[in-house]
Amino acid sequence: MRRRRWSIGTWVAYAIALVATLISLFPLYWLFVISTKTPREAFETPPQLIYVPDFSKYFEIWGQAGFADAYLNSIQVVALGVALTLLVATPAAYAIIRFRVRGVRYLRFWLLLAYTTPEFLFVIPMYVAYQQLGLYDTVGGLAIIYQVFAIPFAIWLIQSFLGEVPRELGDSARVDGASELQTLLKVYLPLAAPGLAATAILVGINMWNEVTIALSLTFDNARTVQIAVAGYRGYAAIRWQEMAAAAVMAVLPMIIFAGIAQRYIVKGLTFGAVK
Amino acid sequence: MTVRTRTRTRRRDRGVRFLVPAFVILAVTSIYPTLYSFFMSFFDWNWGQRFNFVGLQNYVDLVTGQHFRDTLWNTIVFTVSAVSVEFVLGLGLALVMTRLRFGQGLIRTLLLVPLMVSGIIVSVIWKVMLDPSVGIIGYGLHLLGLPRMGFLGDPAMAMGTIVLIDTWWQTAFVFIVLSAGVQALPIEPFEAAEVDGASSWQRFRYLTLPLLKPAILVVLMFRTVDCLKVFAIIYGTTGGGPLTTTESVQIMAYRQAFKTLNMSASMTTMVVFAAFALLVLVLYQRLLPTEEVA
Repeated sequence: MRRRRWSIGTWVAYAIALVATLISLFPLYWLFVISTKTPREAFETPPQLIYVPDFSKYFEIWGQAGFADAYLNSIQVVALGVALTLLVATPAAYAIIRFRVRGVRYLRFWLLLAYTTPEFLFVIPMYVAYQQLGLYDTVGGLAIIYQVFAIPFAIWLIQSFLGEVPRELGDSARVDGASELQTLLKVYLPLAAPGLAATAILVGINMWNEVTIALSLTFDNARTVQIAVAGYRGYAAIRWQEMAAAAVMAVLPMIIFAGIAQRYIVKGLTFGAVK
Repeated sequence: MTVRTRTRTRRRDRGVRFLVPAFVILAVTSIYPTLYSFFMSFFDWNWGQRFNFVGLQNYVDLVTGQHFRDTLWNTIVFTVSAVSVEFVLGLGLALVMTRLRFGQGLIRTLLLVPLMVSGIIVSVIWKVMLDPSVGIIGYGLHLLGLPRMGFLGDPAMAMGTIVLIDTWWQTAFVFIVLSAGVQALPIEPFEAAEVDGASSWQRFRYLTLPLLKPAILVVLMFRTVDCLKVFAIIYGTTGGGPLTTTESVQIMAYRQAFKTLNMSASMTTMVVFAAFALLVLVLYQRLLPTEEVA
């Protein structure tokens, strides 16, 4: 910003930024290309950059019972899971910023630990427990186990959003006779609403994209969209077009949601650790 | 005085009430299964009638067997390589971005797109691009006059390829977090250093790096523990092969439990591995100033 004229350094910086952006986006563009070309066009050399996109594979896949069902399962898991996360994480985050909670350091370390634990430590025991409880291969079972990573993530984020609300507002509501619950609902929530919406989106993206747990705790009935996409890899012959079209349908909504919550993603990525 | 103390205690009680639902769910989903895994690691159980107390036998088998050593080594090689490459590229990009006159926001938004892709879809994308016979990367190499390569199917290249796939996927995480750190740097020390005639390397080495240290540690901590867990991008591409060249510990545990139904062996693997991951996490926590995380 100091020099007014464009130095070589600035040009080089733009060149690097351009290359990095192309590397980031090309694979996704290519996925889209494969999904909209006929098998013959998809792999001809040299590849044709200009072609008439053919979306028939998308309709074909959606017509196959398995994929549409898996897609709807994922929507249900995310809706149920995010609702549960917000319901319990919001009061917890409120308590952490507003009260002196004894041993809050240990609670925070527990959150970090739950968030970072390698999945199979808890997935295999939960597989056993879910078999006995009838929660194996159910949407509800998945929404519950996803709380392991969703609750820590949400508490961390919501805490930083509630912390931006001036403390005096809450205190004066208390003086006027509001209960703590009323203070949370009437004073804090309206002011932190955009942050809560962003939290819901980010938690939802994490749940939608989850693979390891879904692979182990679902089979057919509650199979998620990610596992359905994995299913197209096949053994004998990979069905490239179907696989690519399924992947595009699974990833596109997430990119749109990420665009909506963009402003908050930095906070979300770092647990609010870097301001 | 008494009134004040009383309200304080009451507030504390209320606080607990607000915390209970979240931490009860966390206890059921994290503490219960951990204790169960630990308990079962002293038994021999294969998801059937066989259920015998075997003491430390599972641990002895795990530690003396070649399989766990291989997968642990693979996991460590993957983690160290991926974290280093992603860190260098992410930090470089974060610093380069500060030189842009306009369009920083747009480029940052575009660069974080790969983070929104799931591990399975990342695998699908790279399987398509790296396919030895029809992949676009092979075609690109051919244009450059290079021979076609096996990538994921070549035992010598598979792990390196998975590291590169993870680099494509997760470098943006390092970049975004360090960008936030770079933007928060104070300007004065840098102006002073320039007046004093410090070279750009000196400014980087003695100002940027020390001032960014907390952000760098947070980034390295999250990337390291995340890489240790690596599962989806291996499951989706090589499945651990060729042979066992890309088999991570979590892939091993998955196979033990769901392919050979050796439940107690699988839980033993995870108990040992989670203890290792915990140790790494605690080491990072020691390096961090207390208020940063946890």
